[in-house]
Amino acid sequence: MEMIHLILIIFLGGAVLTYFAGKVNDILRDALFILSILVPAILFFTNVNPESYIDLSIAGFNMKWGITHFGWIFSLIVLGLGVIVSFYAVSFMKGRDKVGSFYFNFILSIGAMLGILLSQDFVSFFIFWEIMTWSSYLMVVYNGNQVQKIGIKYFVFSAVGAYAMLMAIVITHSITGSFLITDLIAVFPQLSNQMHILIPILFLIGFGVKSAMMPLHVWAPGAYSNTPMAYTSVFSGALSKMGVYGMVLIMITLISHIPEGHWFREVIAWMGAFTAVLGTLWAVAQDDAKKLLAYSSVAQLGYIITGVAIGTELAMLSALFLSILHALFKGTLFMAVGAIEKQTGTSNFTEVSGLIRKMPWTFLASLMAIIALAGIPPLGGFVGKWMLYESLINSNHYILVIMIFFSSTAAFLYCYKFLFGFFLGQEEKEWAHVKEAPALMVVPMIILAAGTFILGAYPGLILSPIDAGMQAIGFEATQGHYWEMSVILNQWGDQVVLQPIVYAIFAIFLFFFLFLFFKSRKNTRYVTTKDISSSGEVPLEHENLTFSQNFFQPFLRAVEPVMRRQIDKYYNEFGRGLEAIFDFGRRIYTGNGQTYAIYVIIFVIILLFFKNNLFG
Amino acid sequence: MDNSLQYLEIGFYGSAIILILVGLYGALMKKSLIKIVIGLSIIDAGLHLLMISIGYIKNGTAPIFSGEDFVVAGNMVDPVVQALVLTAIVIGFGVTAVALSLVIRLYRHHGTLKIDEIKNLKW
Amino acid sequence: MVGSPVLFIAIPLLAAFIIPLLGMIWKESVRILPGLVLVYLLTLSINLLGYVLDNGPIIEIIAGWTPPWGINLVFSAFSGFLVTLMLFLGLLVWIYSYRFKRNVDFEPAKKYFILLMMLITGSVGIVLTGDIFNQFVFIEIVGISAYALTAFYTGRDSAEASFKYLIMGSLSAGFLLLAIVILYSQLGTLNMADIARNIHTVKPVYKITALIFFIVGLGIEAEMFPLNGWAPDVYSQAPGPVGAAFAGIVVKSGVYAIIRIVYTIFDIEGAFDFLVIIGLITLLFAETAAIKQIRMKRMLAYSSIGQMGLVLVAFGIGTEAGVFAALFLMFNHAIIKSLLFYAGSYLVFNSKEKYINDVSGLGKSMPITSFLFALGAFAIVGLPPFAGFWSKLYFLIAAADSGMIMIIALILIVSIVEIVYYFRVVNKIYFSKKEAHVVPQRPTFNALFSMIVLGLIVIIIGFFPDLITGILHDASRDLMDKTDYINNVLSITH
Repeated sequence: MEMIHLILIIFLGGAVLTYFAGKVNDILRDALFILSILVPAILFFTNVNPESYIDLSIAGFNMKWGITHFGWIFSLIVLGLGVIVSFYAVSFMKGRDKVGSFYFNFILSIGAMLGILLSQDFVSFFIFWEIMTWSSYLMVVYNGNQVQKIGIKYFVFSAVGAYAMLMAIVITHSITGSFLITDLIAVFPQLSNQMHILIPILFLIGFGVKSAMMPLHVWAPGAYSNTPMAYTSVFSGALSKMGVYGMVLIMITLISHIPEGHWFREVIAWMGAFTAVLGTLWAVAQDDAKKLLAYSSVAQLGYIITGVAIGTELAMLSALFLSILHALFKGTLFMAVGAIEKQTGTSNFTEVSGLIRKMPWTFLASLMAIIALAGIPPLGGFVGKWMLYESLINSNHYILVIMIFFSSTAAFLYCYKFLFGFFLGQEEKEWAHVKEAPALMVVPMIILAAGTFILGAYPGLILSPIDAGMQAIGFEATQGHYWEMSVILNQWGDQVVLQPIVYAIFAIFLFFFLFLFFKSRKNTRYVTTKDISSSGEVPLEHENLTFSQNFFQPFLRAVEPVMRRQIDKYYNEFGRGLEAIFDFGRRIYTGNGQTYAIYVIIFVIILLFFKNNLFG
Repeated sequence: MDNSLQYLEIGFYGSAIILILVGLYGALMKKSLIKIVIGLSIIDAGLHLLMISIGYIKNGTAPIFSGEDFVVAGNMVDPVVQALVLTAIVIGFGVTAVALSLVIRLYRHHGTLKIDEIKNLKW
Repeated sequence: MVGSPVLFIAIPLLAAFIIPLLGMIWKESVRILPGLVLVYLLTLSINLLGYVLDNGPIIEIIAGWTPPWGINLVFSAFSGFLVTLMLFLGLLVWIYSYRFKRNVDFEPAKKYFILLMMLITGSVGIVLTGDIFNQFVFIEIVGISAYALTAFYTGRDSAEASFKYLIMGSLSAGFLLLAIVILYSQLGTLNMADIARNIHTVKPVYKITALIFFIVGLGIEAEMFPLNGWAPDVYSQAPGPVGAAFAGIVVKSGVYAIIRIVYTIFDIEGAFDFLVIIGLITLLFAETAAIKQIRMKRMLAYSSIGQMGLVLVAFGIGTEAGVFAALFLMFNHAIIKSLLFYAGSYLVFNSKEKYINDVSGLGKSMPITSFLFALGAFAIVGLPPFAGFWSKLYFLIAAADSGMIMIIALILIVSIVEIVYYFRVVNKIYFSKKEAHVVPQRPTFNALFSMIVLGLIVIIIGFFPDLITGILHDASRDLMDKTDYINNVLSITH
C-alpha cells in the first residue's frame, strides 16, 4: 500500500473509530482523536516526498495523487495547525455534548484538506473538496437550533461555489478528455477565447466562496463565529486557505498566459482590496470578539487575494507568506477567544474586561497575534505586508496600495478593541473567579504565537520553500532569488533593513512586558473603583468605568454610508423572491383529480400541435 | 372502391371517435365521481370499437379454423385485434371495479361525490 | 442456462393466487411465501444476468409461436439489470414490511402481499416483454395493484390519492391503446423488434402521433411533467414501504418502457431532445415544489419526481455515456430513495399529520434511523463519498461531452434547491428541539435490517463505484445497440 493511501485511510478510520470510542471511554476517545491527526501528520512529513505521484483509477477515472512543492507549503498550514489545535480541542471540548461528532468532523475535514492538496486530478480534488465542505458544515451547525439558517447559508454558498467548480471541471473534461490538472494546463492555451474566460471565472467562484471573496463572503461571519472556537481556528486558518490554494493554482496555471495587468487580474485584485477594506470596517463595528475575528478573517483574506491576483512573483510570495501567517495568528486569536469563552462564558467585549491578570498567558498569546495581525514590526505580519506594498507599488497599483494601507491602519482599531475589551480596563467583580485556561489550551496558543515571532525574524524559513514551490509550478525567477525581491530581506531570509531597530524595540518591549508581568505579581497595588478620584464624584462599586460600548462611535459614524449597504440583504431578498416564485409554481398541483386529467389531455394536444417542431 | 365499405368504415370510426369524445367530456367536465367513472368506461368502449374496426374486412369470416375453411384464411377478419379487445375489456372491467370501490370509500370518507370538494391533498 | 425468464412473471403471479389459499391452511404462510418467491427469483435473476453478460441475451418464446407472431421475453443485460434491481428492492420491501406494525394482522397482510406480488409481476413483465400489447397488459396489472396498494390504509386520504392516480392512469392507458392500434394498423405486428425493423416504412405523421401517444401513456408511470399530479398524493398516502416500491420498482419500469420506445422502437431523433426538455421541466417544477413542502413524504415524493426528471434528461442525451449515467442515476435513485422512504416513514411514524417539523430532535431518540436518513439525504444531493455523487458526476460529464453547458448550469442550480430542503430536514432531526407531542417509534428489526442494507450499499458504492460500473456499461451498450436487439429477437427459432 502506498503511503498516501495509508495516510488517508488513517484519517477516515480514525474519524470513525474516534466517534465510536466516544461511546466507550472518554480518555480513549481523546487519545484516538489526537493520534488520528498526529500519526498521519508525522507519516506525511517523514514519508511523502513532493513531486512523486501515484496513479490510480476509480470508476473509470484516472486519478493522480501526490504533493507538489507548492501544495506542501499548504500542507504545513493544514497539518501543523491541525495537530496543534487538536490538543487545544481536547481541552476545549471537555464536558460538552456531541463531542464524538465534533471529533469526527474535525478529523475528517483535516483529512479532506490534505486530500485536496494531494489530488492532482479534478475528480479527487472535487471529492475531497466536498467532504471538507460538509464536514465543516456539520461543525457550523454544531450549536444547533439558532444557527441552522447560518449553516444553510454556508452550505448553499459552498454549493454554489462547488458546483461552479464542478461545471468548470466537466467542461474541461469535455475538451481535454482528462481530469488531470496538468492536462488542463497543457491544453489551456489552445482553447477558445470564450473558454479562456469561462473556465477561470467558474473556478474563481468556487475558490472565491471558500476564501470569502467580496460578494461571496456573506456566509463567513456567521459561520466563523458560530462554530466551536476550537474548530474555527482551523476553519479560518486552514480551511479558507484551500480557497487561496485553488486560486493560486488557477491564477498561476490557467491564466499565466494572460499578461500581468490583464483586466481579469485587475478585477480580482480590486475585489480583494474591497474585501479587505469593508471587512475591516465591519470588524471595527463588532461588539462580539468572534464576529470581530470573523470579519477580520474576511479582510485578511482580502489582502491575500489581492496579492494572488496581482500575480508578480513578489506579490505571490507575499500572499502565500501572509496565508501562513494568517493561519498562525488567527488560529491563536480564535483559540484565545475560545479560552476566554470557556472561562467566562461570553465572548462579548461589553461584558468582559480586565482579564489581563486572570489570564496572563492568553493575553501574551493574543498580544503577539494582534501585533502580527496589525503588521507592526517585528512580527511576521510586518514582513508580509511590507512585501505586499512593495509588490503593489512595483506593479503601479497605487490606489490598491492606499486601500490596503487604509484597511491595515483601520485594523489597528479593532486590534486595540480586542486587547482592550478583554484584557485591559477595569477588573470586574463578576469575573473575579476567572482562572487561566488549562495548560492544554494555553500551550498551543503560545506555540502558534511564537511562530509569528519566528517568522518575523526569519521569514526565509518559510519563504524559501514557497519560492521552491513557485519555481516548480513554472514561475520563472525573473527577478532573481526571492531575497533579492524585497528590500527587507537578506540572503539568509532575515529581515535586514529594520533588523537592528526591530530587535532593539522587541527587546525593550519584551523586557517591559516581563517586568510588568512579574512585578504585577508581587507588589503592584490593585486599584479599586473607590480609589479613583473623578472630580468629586466617587463612582459606586457597581459602576463600570471601562468604556467598551460604541467603542469607535465617531469613526463608525463617518463610514456609516458604506456599512449600511450590506450585501447580505440583497441575497436574503433574492432568496425570499425565489421561494415566492417556487411557491407559486407548485400551485399547478391543484389537488383536483379532474384538473390532473385535463392536464393529460392538454399535454396531448400541445404535443400534437407542436409535433413537427418537437419530433419533425 | 366500394362505397358501402367506405361508409361503413366511416360509420365505425366516426362512432368510435364520438364515443371517445363523449367519454372524455364525461371524465373531464362532470363533477360527480360516478359520472367520471362512467366517462372513463365510455372512452374504453370507444377505443375497443376503434380497434375492432381496424381488423374489419368486408364479408370476412370469423377467425375460427374449422376443417375445410382453412383455405379461405386470407378472408378472415383480423383475429389479433379481437384478442386485444377481449383483453382490454377485461382490464377495463378491473379498473372500473377498483374505481367504483374507491368511489364508495371516498363517499364514506368525505360525504360527497363532487370531485372538486375532495382535495385534501394538494400543492 | 439456469432458468427461464418466464419464471419471473409466472412465479409471482402464481404466488399472488396461492397466498390466500395457503393462508387458509397456515396463516403465517402469507407472509413467508412472498419472501421465498422473491429470494428464489433474485438468485435466479442474478444467475441469469451472469449468464447473459457472458453469452448474450436470452430470448424466451411463449406458447411456441416464434417472433414476430408470438409473445417473447427478452432478458438482456439492460432488462436483466433492471429486473435484478427491482427484485432486490422488492425483497427489501418484503423484509421491511414483514412485521410492519400496521400489517401484523392476517387479513391486511394477506391483501398487502397479494398486491405486492402483482405489482412485482407487472413491473418485471413490463421490463421483460418484447411485445407492446403485452406491455400494456402488464402496465395495467401494475396500475390496478398500485391503485389498491395506495388505498391500503383506510384511515387517511388514501382513497383520494388512489382515485386521482386511477383517473390519470386509465386516461393514459387509453392513449397507450391508441398508440398500439396505430402501430398495428400500419405494420400489422405487435412485436417490438419487428416494429423496430419496419418502423421506417411508416408515414411520419402516424409514427409521430403514435410516439406522442406512447409518451403520454407511459409518462404517467415515469412521473413525467405534467402527468405526475398523482405522485405526491400517492407517495404521501401509501404505506411507507409501498412508497419505496413505487419509487424503486414501478417508476423504473415506466421509465424503462419509455426508453425502449424511444431508443429501440422509434427512429425519431427529435424524441431525444424532447426527453431533455420534458425532463428539465419535470425537474424544475418538482424540486421547486419540494422546497415548500411541510409534509415529509410529500417532500420525498417531489424529490423523487425531480430525480426521474434528471433520469429522463440523462436518457435524452442519447449517447452511451448518457445512458450509462441515466442507469447509474436510476440505480442510485432506487437505492437511496427507498432508504429515505423507509427511514422517513419511521421518523414521522407517530405523527398524525406527518409534518416535517415533527422530526425535530429525533436524532437523539432514534439514532440509527436518523443517521440513515441523513446518509440518504447526503447521498441523494450528490455529496461525495456517497453513491449519489458518482451518478451525478457521470451525468454531468455525459452532458458536457454533448455540449449541453446551459443545461448543466440549470441542473446544478436546481441541485442547490435540493440541498436546501434536504438539509433543512437533517438540521431539524439533529439540531432542533424535540416537539413535545411526538413519540419516537423504534423501527422493527426487519425494517432496520433493510435500511441498514441500503445504507451500506450507499456507502460501499460511494467508495467503490467500480463494483457497479461494469454491469452498467454492459447494460448501456445493450440498450444502444438497436440492430443487435432486432436481430437477436427475430432470428430466434424453436
